[in-house]
Amino acid sequence: MKFQVTCQFLLLTALASAQAAAPAAAPSFRNEVQPILTRFGCAMGACHGAAAGQGGFRLSLRGFDDQGDWLSLTHSSNGRRILLEDPARSLLLLKATEAVPHKGGQRFSADSASHQVLLDWIAAGAPGPSPSDARIVALEANPPQWRPKAGERQALRVMAAFSDGSRRDVTAWCKFNASHASVATVDEQGLMSAQGPGEGMVSAWFLSRLAVVTVSSPQPGAVDEPAFAQLAPRNLIDRAVLNKLRQLNIPPSGRASDAEFLRRAHLDCIGVLPSVAETRAFLADSSPDKRDRLIESLLKRPEFVDYWAHRWSDLLLVNGDKLTTQAMWSYYQWIRRQVEANTPWDALVRQLLTATGSTLENGAGNFFVLNDEPTKCAETVSVAFMGTSIGCAKCHNHPLEKWTYEQYYAFANLFARVRAKNGEQAEDRVLLSDTRGDLIAPLLARALPPQPLEGGRALSLEDGSDRRIALADWLTSPQNKLFARSIVNRVWANFFGSGLVEPVDDLRLTNPASNEVLFAELAAQLVRDRYDLKALMRLILQSQTYQRSSEALPANAKDLRYGSHHVPRRLKAEVLLDAASQVTGVPTEFKLDRRNANRGTAERYPAGFRALQLPDSNIANYFLKSFGRADRIATCECERSNDPSMAQALHLSNGDTLQEKLTQKNNRVDALLKLGDQPAAMFSEAYLSALCREPSARESKKLLALWQDCPAAERRALLEDVLWGLMSSREFLFTH
Amino acid sequence: MFTFTDQGRVSTCDGLGRRDFLQAGTLGALGLSLPGFLQLKAEGKVNPKRDNKSCIMIFNLGAPSQQDLWDMKPDAPSEIRGPFKPIRTSSDAFEVSEILPQHAKMAKHFSLVRSCYHTAAAVHDTGHQMMQTGRLFTGGVITPHVGSALEFMRGRRGDLPAHVILPETMGPTGGNMPHGQDAGFLGKAHDPFVLNSNPAAKDFKVPDLLPPREIGEVRLQRRRELRELVDGSVRHFEQSEQARLMDAHFNSAYRIMSSAEAREAFDLTKEPMKVRERYGMNRFGQSLLLARRLVERGVRFVTVNTFITVFGEITWDIHGSKPFTSIEGMRDIVAPMYDQGYCALIADLLERGMLEDTLVTALAEFGRTPKINPAGGRDHWPNCWTVNFAGGGVKGGEVIGKSDDMGAYPTERPVAPKEIVATIYHAMGVELDTELPGPQGRPFPVVDFGTAPIRELFA
Repeated sequence: MKFQVTCQFLLLTALASAQAAAPAAAPSFRNEVQPILTRFGCAMGACHGAAAGQGGFRLSLRGFDDQGDWLSLTHSSNGRRILLEDPARSLLLLKATEAVPHKGGQRFSADSASHQVLLDWIAAGAPGPSPSDARIVALEANPPQWRPKAGERQALRVMAAFSDGSRRDVTAWCKFNASHASVATVDEQGLMSAQGPGEGMVSAWFLSRLAVVTVSSPQPGAVDEPAFAQLAPRNLIDRAVLNKLRQLNIPPSGRASDAEFLRRAHLDCIGVLPSVAETRAFLADSSPDKRDRLIESLLKRPEFVDYWAHRWSDLLLVNGDKLTTQAMWSYYQWIRRQVEANTPWDALVRQLLTATGSTLENGAGNFFVLNDEPTKCAETVSVAFMGTSIGCAKCHNHPLEKWTYEQYYAFANLFARVRAKNGEQAEDRVLLSDTRGDLIAPLLARALPPQPLEGGRALSLEDGSDRRIALADWLTSPQNKLFARSIVNRVWANFFGSGLVEPVDDLRLTNPASNEVLFAELAAQLVRDRYDLKALMRLILQSQTYQRSSEALPANAKDLRYGSHHVPRRLKAEVLLDAASQVTGVPTEFKLDRRNANRGTAERYPAGFRALQLPDSNIANYFLKSFGRADRIATCECERSNDPSMAQALHLSNGDTLQEKLTQKNNRVDALLKLGDQPAAMFSEAYLSALCREPSARESKKLLALWQDCPAAERRALLEDVLWGLMSSREFLFTH
Repeated sequence: MFTFTDQGRVSTCDGLGRRDFLQAGTLGALGLSLPGFLQLKAEGKVNPKRDNKSCIMIFNLGAPSQQDLWDMKPDAPSEIRGPFKPIRTSSDAFEVSEILPQHAKMAKHFSLVRSCYHTAAAVHDTGHQMMQTGRLFTGGVITPHVGSALEFMRGRRGDLPAHVILPETMGPTGGNMPHGQDAGFLGKAHDPFVLNSNPAAKDFKVPDLLPPREIGEVRLQRRRELRELVDGSVRHFEQSEQARLMDAHFNSAYRIMSSAEAREAFDLTKEPMKVRERYGMNRFGQSLLLARRLVERGVRFVTVNTFITVFGEITWDIHGSKPFTSIEGMRDIVAPMYDQGYCALIADLLERGMLEDTLVTALAEFGRTPKINPAGGRDHWPNCWTVNFAGGGVKGGEVIGKSDDMGAYPTERPVAPKEIVATIYHAMGVELDTELPGPQGRPFPVVDFGTAPIRELFA
């Protein structure tokens, strides 16, 4: 009370004394003071923004709590940080300018604009935030696009627009960040420097708002317009990709050969190699629509179901270490049935998220057994179906993105009434939606009305209906752009090895797509196709972009993002293991890994199971482990690694996987040996089975010579070695 | 003793013949990992006289509690000082916890930095990144583990890889972030060799180090040629970075599998049982013993992960609640194992005259909360913790830095993770302004510009 009286008195005197000098309004705490504390790092996590503050002075991280920060500045520690009688001697300013010792050093100088704003604010009586303050409504960066030449520089200017209609240049108080340092960098003042060809983004952060500049630098030299003009795009993918390549002056490679396309499409779409007969038939077929017909047949193959059920089981974490055996099977079979029926993605997600009843009868319910509390549900749902991580906001506003603490808890509260009780069978859990119960947001000590993250209506806390229905309505609605984009990106990454946005499950404003037009159009197309994933796959498989050769041109060799050529990549663990089984004609034996339950690895899957048919990641298999299978513990694309390693090379060379398959009786080696009197045919068969191509003249010559020189008794060993050579070649290990 | 047998022919393991076949046609790809050392030496950035140093980094994943082990606060209230008492040590400068009796005896051989802190988020993964690479990963830039950077700059000293991780890389610790145990922007070709096996297991062997019994030298050679025959047919693969990488790994694999030195190094049965037992017949103890064998045979850098994950394993992560560890779990299981293994390593290195040239650092991602929590444990606390150095030119029995009455904040000589990493580089004889080629050719000094090693540590 006393403070307020003094404060008002001082305010009056300050105003009175300042009248002669044509006073401006006092700087707004919310809109001018807070940005300074954030811009100069006072409110960052390492300093006073730490949960416990620093040196007894505590601010909210990046100023998300205006009222609290104002109290902290003006009232805490007996108000010693502000000196209304002599504003320039306020501790706040002395510390920030390091006129007195400050562990954080000098943040700005006494003659800076920031110093002046704080001085004016204190002189005006250090007024706090008020509900009537103007609120920021927009942040704009200029120029919004920048197409520099190498080495060029450009200062960025950022304007903020407020609800009272005012506009202000806030460049000096923005935090800047560049997405691709190879394309452009930005310094603390917002000066951008072009670094090299490609596309990137520079973002400016101010008052929890982001403004972005897209930076696009073409390769030097003139675009070969006649060459581009000759390319007739097959569909929307090609149109968008060619536009981008033209813009960046990157020439596309030619068309992949039939053999390449056949192998690539099989591996990417159904995860198995074409058989020798299939390869021969396809190569002999001269009809112009044979690729389209192949695509249609692949989309109908039973192996398609294996492959994609496995893919979505990775995403939904089907894991026998976390679920009982029956529940794991029930969850997996549910996923499989959806793939089999080609259930639209929105319907699949809706069924999953609104599941009730027995988890053994309705396998989808196991999602809530794995995600057994509201915040976990919220985080998993946002990563899995929107490619967006909101975890930071569990403790504070997301420092780089727009998600706030309140949004997080309002969203998580949508899951607060999911309950599970024991069913009649031993391993059964029964899911239901309760009509009471809420998640308390700890900092607020109350529950927030449940509300979807963005653009969704809040529900009343009193509403007794299943909140998950409202969640599913919002999540799967065409207005929720992230929902379609997230699944488009995952499917795209399956066929191209990397997503339109990388990492695949990190969709955010500051992480631009390699081709935004393409990304938006594909998402829109998926919505038009009513979330039919096969339609999306067909579009991709039919595109010239997908059917491009993996042979790079000198001018496009560096491009890994824009689709100028197909980028070879290592086969994923399960596909590679199955391919080795297919080539050798020897299936792999899979043992359940029950080591966590002290039950060893004795139980087996029935003979003949392929790796892609395994419901569970909990398999004791060194090959799958060292080739980077996903463990299915956390919802993250980063769980799986397709990078080569020395352990893999050692395992291919010395490990038991290939060796056992090669030496087994009655395997492919024995079958091939029956063709021993026609060695050319024999080697042709071997090559077609592994690489989908005939041996080259050079290869034939060498192989035939080895064969002639080899004593009959050692020919099996030679053939084993030939197959080993094929299966350890990069042509085999990679899709290309 | 290993022998290559092929149809009755036995070859000795002197390595000569094999090395010849290895050399053919592999240098091109190996050029990827040939050290930038020569160039750096020419620039005077590396002191060749100091290239005889090695490092064993013990990463105490989970993060030990400084108040219960190395920085005790006996005068603090009970909820801070915890249940254990300090005991006198062979150093006048410090006491350690009663649950580390061997440490007390060895104290004159190692020194403590009691004022390490970091300011990033208090999740395990951030500390893993900073303590092993010197930097927090931001803007998509993954900086290399100090051991991998060393491999990049200097290459390997023999057939063995320059950087080995035992027994396996860090698993999940909750943050879902990379842990900094690879070569980052230097490229996968410089990633460490990961053992992926438990050296304490009865039938321990390095997975896949040796060719199958029936594949003798002749067939090994033929397989290689057949592989190269296929690879030679699709030339354009050579533009693919991933494919080049696979080649480089195959070449490294050929090299290690045909080396007698490598087989010998990984063969723990060559150690007398008494020595094995001295380290403790557990995963950690045997990993340390293996680390010593590797360093003895020229490996530059060995990272030993004391634990692999904080979930469902008894570790340093003493939150007091499931699935983490209780303070009693630390007292009864973790500390005795650690005390025995660590002190056996230091003593063994000392007795073999190796300690002078082998830096042993035991570190962690952060410390633990000064106040014991309601579950009776301690939570994450990056504001202050203790790091331990021995050997490699470091003085023993000293204390650097000081924490406050609660072990909550440094009060003297605060040390950031990058200074720890700088100290390791310094001990290895690397000038700190040596630049690594960062993403898109952007030069990256091994540690941030202006970072200094903890010079007081060195004699």
